[in-house]
Formats: sequence, C-alpha cells, structure tokens
Amino acid sequence: MKAVGARLPRYDGVGHVTGQTTYVDDVRVAGMLWAKALRSPIHRGDIMRLDTSKAEGHPGVHAVVTHADVPKNVYGHLEALGVPADEPLLAEGEVRWKGQVIAVVAAEDEATAREAVELIEVEFEEKEPLFDPRKAFDPDAPQIHPWGNWYNHFEGEMDRRQIRKGDVAWAFDQADTIIQGVYRPAAIEHLPLETQISLSVPESTGRLTIYSCTQAMYFSMGVVAAHLQVPLNRLKLVGGTVGGGFGGKVDSATETITALLALKSGRPVKWRFTREEEFLVSSTRAPWHIEIADALTDDGWILGRKTLTLHDSGAYSRFSPYGLTKHSFHHLGAYTIPNVHFDGYVVYTNRVPTTAMRGFGVTSVSFAVETHMSRIADTLGLDPFEFRLKNANRVGDTTANRVVLQDPSTVPIVQAVAEAAGIELAAELRTMSSEPRTGDLLPEHLVSQQVLEKESH
Amino acid sequence: MKLTLNGVERDVESPPLTSLLAVLREELGILSPKAGCQQGGCGSCTVLVDGEARRACLIPLASVDGAEITTVEGLGSPDDLGRVQAAFNDAYAAQCGYCTSGMLMAAEGLLRTNPSPTREDIQHTLGGHVCRCTGYVKIIDAVELAAGGVA
Repeated sequence: MKAVGARLPRYDGVGHVTGQTTYVDDVRVAGMLWAKALRSPIHRGDIMRLDTSKAEGHPGVHAVVTHADVPKNVYGHLEALGVPADEPLLAEGEVRWKGQVIAVVAAEDEATAREAVELIEVEFEEKEPLFDPRKAFDPDAPQIHPWGNWYNHFEGEMDRRQIRKGDVAWAFDQADTIIQGVYRPAAIEHLPLETQISLSVPESTGRLTIYSCTQAMYFSMGVVAAHLQVPLNRLKLVGGTVGGGFGGKVDSATETITALLALKSGRPVKWRFTREEEFLVSSTRAPWHIEIADALTDDGWILGRKTLTLHDSGAYSRFSPYGLTKHSFHHLGAYTIPNVHFDGYVVYTNRVPTTAMRGFGVTSVSFAVETHMSRIADTLGLDPFEFRLKNANRVGDTTANRVVLQDPSTVPIVQAVAEAAGIELAAELRTMSSEPRTGDLLPEHLVSQQVLEKESH
Repeated sequence: MKLTLNGVERDVESPPLTSLLAVLREELGILSPKAGCQQGGCGSCTVLVDGEARRACLIPLASVDGAEITTVEGLGSPDDLGRVQAAFNDAYAAQCGYCTSGMLMAAEGLLRTNPSPTREDIQHTLGGHVCRCTGYVKIIDAVELAAGGVA
C-alpha cells in the first residue's frame, strides 16, 4: 500500500516534458500518404452524381475511395445485439449532415490531396433539413430516415426508453402545485488538442497496422474489421496515447478510411483532421430537449415526476441509445420521487452525429434537474438547500429504475456545497445524515413506497 | 537556408514558404511541437526563435533563415531535465501532454526575460495556450516552481 496517499511520478510524465511521447502524428513510416475528404457541403439532400475520375488521374494521387470501395458500408456498433445499422461509412445516395464524408483521397502530400478533392465532381438535390429535436419529433416533420425520425430499437423494438413507477396519476391528483420546466442543454465540442487522427500501414504479411488516437481500441478494431469484412487477426491496432479525448474519440472517426486507402494504394496513409474539421464535423456532446413536470406539496415534497426527453442524435444513432438509457436512470437526479413517468426518445436531426462526453447522457439531465429544483424552491418560497435535503436520497430509498440505495451521497454533498458557498444551514440540516427515513422525513407517500420495495425484494 | 536548431547548425531544403512547424516536424524530425490547429490559436507548436516564444505554425521558413531555434528537445533530456521540464513533471502539469511542449517553451521564453514573474505575468504569458485537460492551475504552479517560487 505504499502507493496510497503518496505523490508518485506519472509513468508518462518524463515523456511528456521531453517531447518524447509518441502520439499518432509522431509515428514515422516511409512512403506515407496523406488523406483528405470530400464532405457534404449541404445539410440534407440526394447525391445525383459522383465522379472521382479526375481526382484519380491527378498527379500524386494514389487512391480515392467512395462507398463502392467499402465491403460493408453500413455498420452499427450495436449490430451484434440485433440493432440494425443506420450509418454508412461513406455516403451513398443521400447525405444527412453537413460534413458527412462522401469520398476520401490519398496523395503524396496534403496540398495534392486537397487539390484532388477539388477535382471530384458531385451534384446534389437539396432537401429541407431539420436541426431542432423538438421539431424533428413531430409526426408530420419531414422524415430524415426511411423509418422516420425516431430510433425505434430499444428492447422489445420499442421506440422509446420508458420508466414507470408508482402511481403518477395519483401524485398529480394529490398535488398542491405542479411546476413545469423545459431545459435544452446545447451541443459541446470536445476540443482535444490532438485532432482526430490515424495512420494505417499495410504490412508485407498482408496485415494492417493501424495507429489510432481512439479511446476505445477494441471498438475501433471491431468497426474496422466489420467494414472491411476481414477477421480481427488481420488487424494490429496501436494506441493508448491519446492527445485528449473526453468521449470524442470513442467513435471511430478515421481508422476505417485510412485502412481502406492503405489497402487500395498499398502505401501507409495518415488522416489528421484540421482544427476546422474537428470543430465542424467531429462528433459533439448531444443537444437535448427535456420537459419536466413535478407534482408538489406546498411544504416541499415531490410526489411525482413526468419527464419527456428528446436526445438529438444528429443524423445517425451511434451510441445515442446508450446515452439516453444512462440519462433515464439518472433522471430523478439525487432525489427520491415515488411516482414516475419517463419517456425518452432518440431523435434524428440533420446535425453532426453526437456521442459520448464526460458523463454521457447524465450531465444533461443533472443540469435540467438541478435547475428545476431551484425553480421549484423559488416558486414555492422554500430554501433551496432545505428543499433538496428534504427530498434527498437516503439509505433504503429506491431510484426510478428500482435500485435500492445502500450508500447514497446526496446529503453530505448538499451540505458540502452549502459550506463551500458560505451558506450557513440550520442545525438540523447541518447534522442530517443519510440514515433511513424516520419521523418527519418519512411521510405517508414514501412509507407505502418503501413497503412495496421491501415486498418486491 | 539554415537554422541553428538546439545549438546545431542545420541546412534546410523545404520551400521558403513552408511553415517552420512543417520544417521542424516533417524535414528535421523534431516532433515536440504539435500541429494542434495550424492557425496560431492553440499554442501547441510554440518554439523559441532567437530566444522569443513564437508559434511555429505561423512562421514561414524564409522569415527565420539563419535564426536560432530552440525546442523542447533543446531544454534537456530524460536524465537531465531542464528547470521548466523538471517543474512541470514535479507539479503534475501535464495530463494528455499534447499542449505541454508549447507550454514549456512559453514558460522558458518568459523565464529567460523575466526570471521572477508574478502569477499574473505567468497567466499573461500562457494566455492563448489551450489546455483541455488540466484546467491550467497546475501549469501555472509549475512555472512558479520553475522560477523558484513557492508553488
């Protein structure tokens, strides 16, 4: 146990301060080509014509790939679980977001690759795009995918993630006050200092060595193998040195395409996003539309909550269903509410596909819930700390999805927040603990919940 | 053209409008400066040009013909870290490490002209150097430590 509490040197610290840490961009191989992409300049439309012949004939160009070069163009992370794939590696027939990759060139240097991209001929017929998940959610909105604008492959082929607990109709019937709010956390770019990058090297053995900035090596390996339709033993992925990720390097942004170009050209191929690409077309944290209605008593008990959440997945679903699931589990925040009705949808828009970012799906709902809690306290004229501590999770309480809490931390955290903010809590709040509910903290509407939960366990 | 790179004179073949960053990384094999944005916005390519911290991505080679260039490789080695390198390591001022080279060179440039900077001086110098991991506090502490302060 010498390590616990000790200030140990970072294993990579000396590498970082001497410039010797090898990121993907620092890997040197002979004969390397640079990749550049033709991306959709429009938000949504049909590709009427695509001709790469002039680019292919441009001096210094060694390969151009389009959807026709991909053995399995449409692949999804959750295919192995039976969820149909929805995203093409390279656009085919239709583009659904500005920046979607249509074709990629590998050339002797970046300037030549850029010139060749300019020589690709492409024509579109534009369609009306959708950018707001609330508008895209409407049944009569233009349909972005043939099956509509909702992801519809939650368990049991449901079109939503739903949670039902207790008797929400009773709660809203009993309520002294109903307080509603709509919360819309915006997209955020992860902004790693190292932009998306990979380098694929064809080996004499027929294998590919892929240097990647990925945060999820085995996801990437599976994604490349699936698109290329090769067994995993044809691929050697080298990674683990990530120049900042924050969730933005969970999806495979470039590896599959450099692998395709390396196989087609027989040369090592590197693709490094420009900072502009990183901002405009790499995945972001999702924007959300969250509607909350709480049934309240005048003395500050939350009897019930109804929630409608729309998770803007952008043009394709990627990991959004997973993010929404985490969101649903946390949608009561750190508080106990016995009667719950939650419906969450993953909604497609014509934005860049969204992905994980620090607290995947949970930060959005935490923002919404805490803002709502403060709104309730303001509206009812309650002290915001007292209101939170009253409804705080305690030992023996159950979450929306019926996890019985053994060690909840709401009470000490709210107390610590008050202390850090320089707010003096009343003695009974300052000394409150997370112990199981008794007395004033166990009103009748929570007694019945705890009895029910005991019976079901 | 010629550069004196970390004390060694080097002939350079790249075309005159090539960025100093590309010359260092692609021709001369100096990999500590990073291509974080190539627009002068992030600071990760910072090197010393005749002792002054500058962004290598914005400098055409022709404008620095004959200049003395110092990069992280010229500050010290793993067995013999320079003062700024040692301080960054001791103060845990690097997380992913991608901005670190630029931070080190900005700090080195500051300490060469201002050996006893205030915390404000350090913040001013590091303004425009983007770090997405650490939140900057440990980086500023490290520069204070390198200057002999009390971080």
